Order: sequence, then C-alpha cells, then structure tokens
Amino acid sequence: MSISESVLEYNLRNVVTKNRMKGLWRLMTGYHWHYFFAVVSLGISATAKTTTYLLIKYFVDDYLIKKDPIVSLPLIAAGFIFLAGIEGGFAFLSGKLAAQTSEGTTRRLRNYLFDQIQHLSFSYHDKVQTGELIQRCTSDVDAMRRFFADQAIGIGRVFILFFVNFGMLLTINVKLALISIIVVPFVLATSIWFFKRISKAYEAYQEQDAVVTTTLQENLSGVRVVKAFARQEYEMGKFEKQNWDKYLRGKKLNLMHSLFWPVTDIICGVQLLTGLLMGALFAINGTISVGSYLAYAGMVGWIIWPMRNLGRLIVQLSTGMVSFGRVKDIIKQHRENLDEGEFKIPTRINGEIHFENVGFKYSEGDVVLEDINFHVNPGQVIALLGSTGSGKTSLVNLLPRFYEYTSGKILIDNIELKDFPKRYLRSQIGIVEQEPFLFSRSIRENIIYGVDSEVDQKEIEAAAKAAAIHDVILNFPEGYKTLVGEKGVTLSGGQKQRVAIARTLLKNPKILILDDSTSSVDTETEAEIRTALKKLMENRTTFIIAHRIQSILNADLILVLDKGKIVQHGNHEQLMEQTGIYRDIYNIQTRIEQELEKEISHV
Amino acid sequence: MSDEYYEEEDFQTKFTGKTFTRILGLTKPHWKWVAGFLVSIAVVSILDSYFTFLSKRIIDEGIVPKNAEALTSILIVYGLLLLVQAVFAFCFIYLASVLGERIRYDLRKSLFNHLQKLSLSYYSRTPVGWIMSRVTSDTDRVSDLVTWGLLDVTWGIMNILTAMVFMLIISWKLALIVFITLPILFIVATQFRKRILTQFRMVRKLNSKITGSYNENITGVRVIKALGRERENLTEFGGLTRDMYKAGYRAAWLSALFLPTVQIISAIALGVVVWRGGLQANYGLITIGGIQAFISYVTFMLWPIQDIARVFAEMQHSMASAERIFSLTDSIPEVKDREAAYDPGTIFGDIEFDHVHFSYEDNIPVIDDLNLVVQKGETIALVGPTGGGKSTIVNLLCRFYEPKKGQIRINGEDYTKFSLHSIQSRIGIVLQTPHLFSGSIRENLRYGRLEATDSEIEEASKIAGAHEFIIKMEKGYDDQVGEGGNLLSVGQKQLISLARAVLAKPEIFIMDEATSSVDTLTESLIQKGMDTLMKRTTSFVIAHRLSTIKRANRILVIEDGKISEMGTHSELLKKGGKYYHLYTKQFRDQMAKEYDPFSDNIGVQTLPLAAD
Repeated sequence: MSISESVLEYNLRNVVTKNRMKGLWRLMTGYHWHYFFAVVSLGISATAKTTTYLLIKYFVDDYLIKKDPIVSLPLIAAGFIFLAGIEGGFAFLSGKLAAQTSEGTTRRLRNYLFDQIQHLSFSYHDKVQTGELIQRCTSDVDAMRRFFADQAIGIGRVFILFFVNFGMLLTINVKLALISIIVVPFVLATSIWFFKRISKAYEAYQEQDAVVTTTLQENLSGVRVVKAFARQEYEMGKFEKQNWDKYLRGKKLNLMHSLFWPVTDIICGVQLLTGLLMGALFAINGTISVGSYLAYAGMVGWIIWPMRNLGRLIVQLSTGMVSFGRVKDIIKQHRENLDEGEFKIPTRINGEIHFENVGFKYSEGDVVLEDINFHVNPGQVIALLGSTGSGKTSLVNLLPRFYEYTSGKILIDNIELKDFPKRYLRSQIGIVEQEPFLFSRSIRENIIYGVDSEVDQKEIEAAAKAAAIHDVILNFPEGYKTLVGEKGVTLSGGQKQRVAIARTLLKNPKILILDDSTSSVDTETEAEIRTALKKLMENRTTFIIAHRIQSILNADLILVLDKGKIVQHGNHEQLMEQTGIYRDIYNIQTRIEQELEKEISHV
Repeated sequence: MSDEYYEEEDFQTKFTGKTFTRILGLTKPHWKWVAGFLVSIAVVSILDSYFTFLSKRIIDEGIVPKNAEALTSILIVYGLLLLVQAVFAFCFIYLASVLGERIRYDLRKSLFNHLQKLSLSYYSRTPVGWIMSRVTSDTDRVSDLVTWGLLDVTWGIMNILTAMVFMLIISWKLALIVFITLPILFIVATQFRKRILTQFRMVRKLNSKITGSYNENITGVRVIKALGRERENLTEFGGLTRDMYKAGYRAAWLSALFLPTVQIISAIALGVVVWRGGLQANYGLITIGGIQAFISYVTFMLWPIQDIARVFAEMQHSMASAERIFSLTDSIPEVKDREAAYDPGTIFGDIEFDHVHFSYEDNIPVIDDLNLVVQKGETIALVGPTGGGKSTIVNLLCRFYEPKKGQIRINGEDYTKFSLHSIQSRIGIVLQTPHLFSGSIRENLRYGRLEATDSEIEEASKIAGAHEFIIKMEKGYDDQVGEGGNLLSVGQKQLISLARAVLAKPEIFIMDEATSSVDTLTESLIQKGMDTLMKRTTSFVIAHRLSTIKRANRILVIEDGKISEMGTHSELLKKGGKYYHLYTKQFRDQMAKEYDPFSDNIGVQTLPLAAD
C-alpha cells in the first residue's frame, strides 16, 4: 500500500471535534485501512502462535503417545517452521503498517502545524510563548506518534492475545479456560495502580532532573561570577544538594518499579500454578489429553503476562490524550487567508496612500490608534515620531495588514486595503527592522529570502553592493555561502541591517517601512547604512519610524504621535514654525553642542 | 537546542581496554551493590531455566505415570521457588536501578566539581552546550552501560549457560543441534541491532533539525509574513518531514523485522528438534516432557541473545561517551595554585603590571608589554575601542588568566605566589551583563558573603541603592529572581550585582559598565553605590559613562593591547588626542539620549554632569 501525495493534503482542521475518538480517527485519515490491516495481521500472527501449541498437542497426542499419526514427522516439524513463518511474517507486516500509519500521520501533523504557525495572526503570536509552542509541535506530536505506533496497537495486541488464546482454551476445556482468567482483573488493577504511581514518581524525578540541568547551566554561564567571588565550594554544595535530591527521587521511582515486577510475578505465578495443577490433574484423570495439557501450559502464559503491560499502556494512553488536546489547541486557531480579496490584482501598485479616520483597538478594548488622517503621494517619505507606546509601530503594522484596523479606511491607489489579498499586499511592502531577523542559513539564502523566483548571483551581488555589504561578505570565510548564526559567523547589528537592506532591495517593493535606528552601530557604518538606505528609498513610498532628528529632516511629511493620536504634522520647515515637541527636540541638538563646548573649555 | 546539536556530533570509538577498565572502576566504591545484583540476576536466571525443567518433570513424573502425589510435590517446589525468584527479582531490579542512579550521581558530581576548578580559558573555548551534553546525556549512557548493560549480559549469559546444561542433561544430541544455531542467532541479532541504532540516531538528528525549523518559524514569523515566504517554507519543511518519515519508517520497519527474523531462525532449530526428538522418542531416548522442555528452551533462547546483542551494539556509543567524560575530568586547569601558595592576608596595596604580555591560544598578542603602577585606593578608568584589551587587563588582574610574560605584583609580591582563593575572594566584580542565579534576591545578595546576616545584606543593598526597589517587591528580599534573573529588569539586576559586590567587602573592585541604558534614577543610584565602594577599594572600571570616567583618578585609553594615553580627564582633554575624540562622541550620544523626549525616561532629566 503506497500513500498518495493527496493524503498529505488532508485538512487537519477536521480533527477539531467534540468527540476525541472521532478526532483521533480523523487524524488517521488516509491510513484507516493500514491501521485496520495492522490489527488484522496482529490477529493472524497471534493465531499462528497459538496454533503452534495445538500442533504441539497433535505431535504429543498423535505422534508420541498414540504413535499413529496421519501426518508424518518431518511434516510436523515443517509445520512448526511454517507456523513460525506465518507468525513472524504477519507480525512484521503489522509492525510495518502501524509504522506507516504513525509516521505518516505525524508527518502530516508536523507539516500542518508548521503551516498553521506561519498563518496565525500577529495577535496570536503576541500572546503565546515560543518555548511552549515548540514543545507542543515536538514533544506532543511525538506523543501522538507513540500513541499510534505503540500504545493503541499495544492495547489491541493485549486484547487480541487474550481473546485468541482464551478462545482456543475454551476448545480444550471450558472449566480450565475459566479458571485461567480469574486473576486477570487483579493483574489489571495492580498494574494500573502501580503505573499511576510510577508515572507520578517519574514526573517528580524529571522535574528534579530539570532543576539539576538548570543549576548546571547557570553555573556554566555564570562561571565568571563564580570565580570572581571564589564561590566554587558553595556551587559544589548547591549542585550536590540538587543532585542528591535527584538521586533520592530516582531511588523512590526505582523502588516502585522494582516492586511492580515481583508483585505481579507472584500474582501471575499463583494463577499459573493453579492452572497447571488443575490441568495436570485433568490430564491424570483423563479429562484432557497430555498434549492438551502441554498446549494449555503454553497458552495460559499468553493470557496472563501481557495483562501486566496493560497498566503501563493505559497510563501512557492518557498522556497521549492530553497531548492530543494540546495539539488540537493550535489546530483550532483561525488561519489568516492570504489569497482572499475581491480586487483584481494590478501588476504593480503606485504607492499612493490615504488614511481616513483610521482607528485600531485590540479585541480587549484597549485603544491603540485613533482618528488618523493623512495622505501620501507615490514616492514620498513619511516620518513617524513618538515615544514607545505612542502607536507609531502599530500604525505601520496596519499597512501589510499584520493587524486589521478597526475603524476608518486605508486606501492604496484609492483601493481599500481590505480588498487586496494579503499575499499580494505584502509582496508590495518591504520592511527593514531595527534589529533584523536573519535565518540560520547562508548569507546568500538570507538575501534571496523574500523572492520566490530564481535569482542569479549577479543580481544578488548588485543588491549587496547597493546595501554596502558586498565587501564585508567577501571577507567571510566562505563568502556568500557563509552560514549566519550559531553555527556560522555572528553578524554585528549594522551588518545584519545591511543584509536586510539587500534582502529588501531584491524584493523590490513599492512601499517601504524602515525602523531607523543606528544607535547600536559605530559612526563609520552609520554613514554606510545611511547611503544604503538612501538607495533603497528611491522611488518608493517610505515610512520611517524615526529615532533621531537627522533622518527626518528631508521627510515630505512628519507625523508626531502621542497616545495613539497625531499631535503635529507637516514638513520640517512647517513644524519648526510651530511651538511644540518637534521644535523642542530639534533645539536639543544645538543645546548639546553648546554644552559640549562649555564642558571642554571648562577644564 | 544547542544541547541536541552537540549530542549529534558524537562519534564511535574502537573498543579500548583502558577506557573499559576505567568504566568498570566507577562501580568500585559500590562493589557490594554490583555483587548483589549480579548474584540476584544469576539466581533469577538459573531459576528461569529450572522452571522449564520442572515443567518437564510435571509431565514425565506426574502426568504420564498418573502420579498426583509427585505432581503436588513438584508444584509445591515450583511455588516456593517462584517466591524466591520474586524476592531476587526485586533485589536485582532495585539494586541495579539504584546503582545506575548512584553512578549518574557520582559522575555528575565529579564532573561538576572538576568544572569548578577549570580556568576561564577552558570556558572561552568550550561551548556551554557541549559541556552540558557531557554532564547530562553522556553520564546517562555510561551509567546505563555499567548497570543495565552489565546486568543484561550477565542475565543473558547465565540464562543461556543454564539452559545449555539442562538441555545436555535431557539429551546431548538434541542439545548440540541447538548449540549450532546460537552463534548464527547472535550474529544476526547484533547486525540488526547496529542498523536499528544507526537509524534511531538518524531520527534524533532529524528531530533536532525539525525542532530548529519550528523555532525559526516561530521566532521569525514576522519576517516570514512580511516577506511572504509561507509557501517556500512549507515546501522546505516538507522535505525535512519527508526525510523524517523515511528515517522513522525505516527504523520501525527494521525493528519490526528484527524479532520475526530471529524467531524464524530459532523455529528452524525447533523444527529440527521436533523431527530428531520425535525419532528418538520412538526408541525411548527422550520423554514427552523432555521434548516439551526443548521446545521451551529453544523458543525462549532468543530473548537473552537479543539482549546481549543490544548491549554490544550500544557499547561503542557508551564507550565514546565515557571517553569524552574522562577527557573532561582529565583536563588540567591552566591557572592553579603553585606549590607553597599562601594567603597574604590582604591584597589591598599597590598593584604593578611589569612588562606584562598576554595572548590566547592563537598567539596573537592581546596585551603587549603593559607597564602600569596603580596606587593603593586609586580609581582607574579603562576606555577604548572593543577588542582593545580592556577586559583582558581586568581578567589578568583577577587571575582568571596569568601573564604569558612579565609579572603582576600586589604589594610588591608576584601574585602567582598567592593562592587563587586568597585573591579572588577579596575581589568584588560587577559584570557588564549581570548574572544572577535562580533563587531569592536575598540568596543572590548573600552570594557576595555567605556568612552575612540579614541586616548586613540590607545595609549593603542600601549602599548600592537597591534597597528601595527590593522592598517594593511583593515578597521583598524573598522575591524570586527567576532563571538567570529574568524576572528583573536590567537595571535591577545591575543594582543587585552591585550590592552583592558591596557585601563582599572587596579590597579590589572591578566594574564593567553596562552599555545598555537604564533609566536615570537607577543610573544615579548605581553611581552613588559605586562611589561608596570605590572610596575604600582599589578600583578598575571599564567605563562607558561620562560621569564615571570623569570621577576616576586616572584614565587609561587602551588600544591594541597597549596604553595609548594616560592621565586625568582634564589633562587628556587638553591634549586633544584619542581621548578627546572618544569623549566628545560619547558626550553627544549620551546627551542625545538623555534629552530625547521620546525615550522611556520620564521627562527631561538634569544632566548628571551638572550635578558635579
């Protein structure tokens, strides 16, 4: 059975149902038959195993005792090999099919979650923690895999073994069969009782393990502090305490484990002995044949021993269910639709922008922006000035529709923003952030990250040159192929910014959003970044989130924001004529120079 | 994540007797435990084989001759032995697992304690993730080898040996047939195990890649959306999950094939036993019970073999783990006490750098012929470009490193004659990025001086200006700081680490000023705390703030491992050299920041300079 690619496309949103079983069933869509046959194969395999005991019965009764076999000895011997073949073959088939199901299901789940994450809105990502989300996508998904690969099928296996062997026992002797299962509820109860405690003890152990790891991590990353205060002894004591506590918890966990096996051994042993005694007595008084006794002695084990595992499987199953719930929480979030929008897409927008009474508030009701009005012609530069929380970042975030404005209208080329499909809209807008995010891949790949078509090296280098980063890249060990991040080179803030500029140049958007901060770079690179930015801004409508006055002197429109409202607007000359924050800021610059002069002449 | 990354770098090593002996040496202090579980497992495994033999006797002595008495007596023995076995089973599981836990504990302890002794140079060239993997996963693997590995092998060998003995007793001819299959089974099992293990490692490797992808997808989601990369990313990720599917499927497939294969091999042996046994039975050479016993032995033979095979397959990796652990414990600290190192009683005095040279492993000089005499109680400001050698000077002073050439003298004595502890316990240091340990604020402060009383702690925080904000916290001094102090702001962390240094009553004070700005109030509090501390210590400040620089008795401009300018603030400013340029740029930047009405500071603050 091969899986068609269409199975991968199944929309996992369907697994969000009230009924958990239904949800799990849908999660397996495309693999239902695989799973079904995995269980059937398991049944065949178990039956073959049990049949082996019947063959022993035949061998003993008809060949060894009556010495009057219908089937010849070599054939009986071959029968054993044949049955083992059936048993093994179907066990393998079952394992293979179950693996296909579990691996295939998790593969699809992983892909879906990945796509889900990149389609969830900014507001969702603002709320969730990265670590938490990663954990759900990795450990919880793996728990789902184990659910399908081990637990569900494991429980099926226990039951199949039970019913097949019990059924066969019934054909040998009903009384004997019934005696053999008296202990089953006890084994089951003990097993569940133990594994509940074991899993609790295990959690406690794991918790402490995490504490030990944290202690170690903090010690290693704070090694200078440890040494500076000469606190080695103290640290050893601290670690010793945590390490010892972990040992004690491990001891407790192990005690539970070491009790479980012998205790169930004894329970099962009592059952086994009673069964053997009864069976043997029946064999002596002729109720059953010697061969039947042998078959019985073999089969009874397959009823009792697997039951011991049931407790573990059931406890694990419940954690699998918890994981399913956690994964479902992500799946049920609504995706952004990137292609929705009535407007027929023009090949290129011009970049004229209107804000008309635009307002934006969070769903909780906090007002972020209010009554924003302005108009920009294509190619103009708009500078936004304001303190943290004044709403300047929120304002530019409305343009690519990272957040949806809640009142008023935003028009690009006189078309309402909401009519553009998001994918198209975002392709027309470029963003260079203050501390740009680069991906841990090669510099080349980072530069072409925003382009979905093939790009040749010349274009990349042209962009890099324009962004004044080409020479820097050539100095790296592997040039454009150099990896960025942990496993490669660490770029400085200014270098990252220039790579991001090159990335945006290649993307070639019509509207540009710049977070202009050069505070973290030295004077030399500052000039280079400025030149690069100037090149980038050519022929593009540009929004600058400004942090310093120099970068806004030439803006066509300056918006001074405070508490979500525009408090001043106009160009530099106009604003200088008004009393207000803008003029104050501008005057600071001259004041600083005066003070410096005073300072130096003072000494 | 870096954890998993280093995990996958590990390699396989050849079996070396030396490492193996050392691994076994780990169990030496607990030899009683080892002896205990080895004896227990031996008893359990002998009994296992004996039970099969008892089953044979039930048939041959009880059922076939129809002797109910013999039957009951055999079953009573059986029952009693089951109880005995249960007791021993408890012993071996308990002893082995607790011993495993104990060895993990021992290994971690000795690794941790050794790590405390290693020099800073070791930490600067070894990534934290690498060390973490050694202390966590490698210790797990080694302790598993000496407990469960040893146990499984012992159990397996005992089991096979006793089964062999019983088989020989029952019928030596049939026994020989079975023995032939043993090596075949063993080879097949080992080969399978090795391949399965390789597949699982592949799965783990891919898994850490997938985790990495998720991580980037989440942290970079804003850029991905802005650049519209959703489709390409999904395609790329799809490639990764496809590989994962293949590897995971192959691992499961191999595991699923393993047992049936081994079972079929032993079934062939079984078939031969039935065939030959059946013939022999005709001549009365073997009993029904005997044949039954053979069937059982052959059927269960594969378990010990597959256990032994597993241990052998994993052995190589465990050995590699052990070698890495030993390489860590064998590494020698580069900076350590000389023979006859002593405690001078105080290190408050003149400090002299006499023709000091220093370079890291790459031999590129970082400090080049540094000469400097610092008077007792002086405050020295170190300024200059990043990478110029400021931090190295401080690290040398703390004796985190020692000069490659030349001497550093404290009170006229070469400081390498002193014990490390005597120097470092008298130094107070505040780092650029303050490091706190998870725990309460009080615990973090007490780190400065362990025997400090609560009132001394409060006093120190008052001096450092930390008291104010601490008492405003919900639980005051008992408030938790979180992992690495992440529940506190940068400014608060700085204040606490300053208070910690104050509490230590240092004789030499070192401060690496933070470049990141804190609010003006915190800033002036830090300033005040530093002032108090500097009055009674010899101080070195890697300075970024103008006010700090101006307060120093002497300013050193460090460039390319040398002192390029030295003097007081006014002297250097008049000179109009490097310091002049540094200062004016710093001045403009700092003022721009302080005057900025949009910065997070509340209102425009008065210049700290004006307060002078």
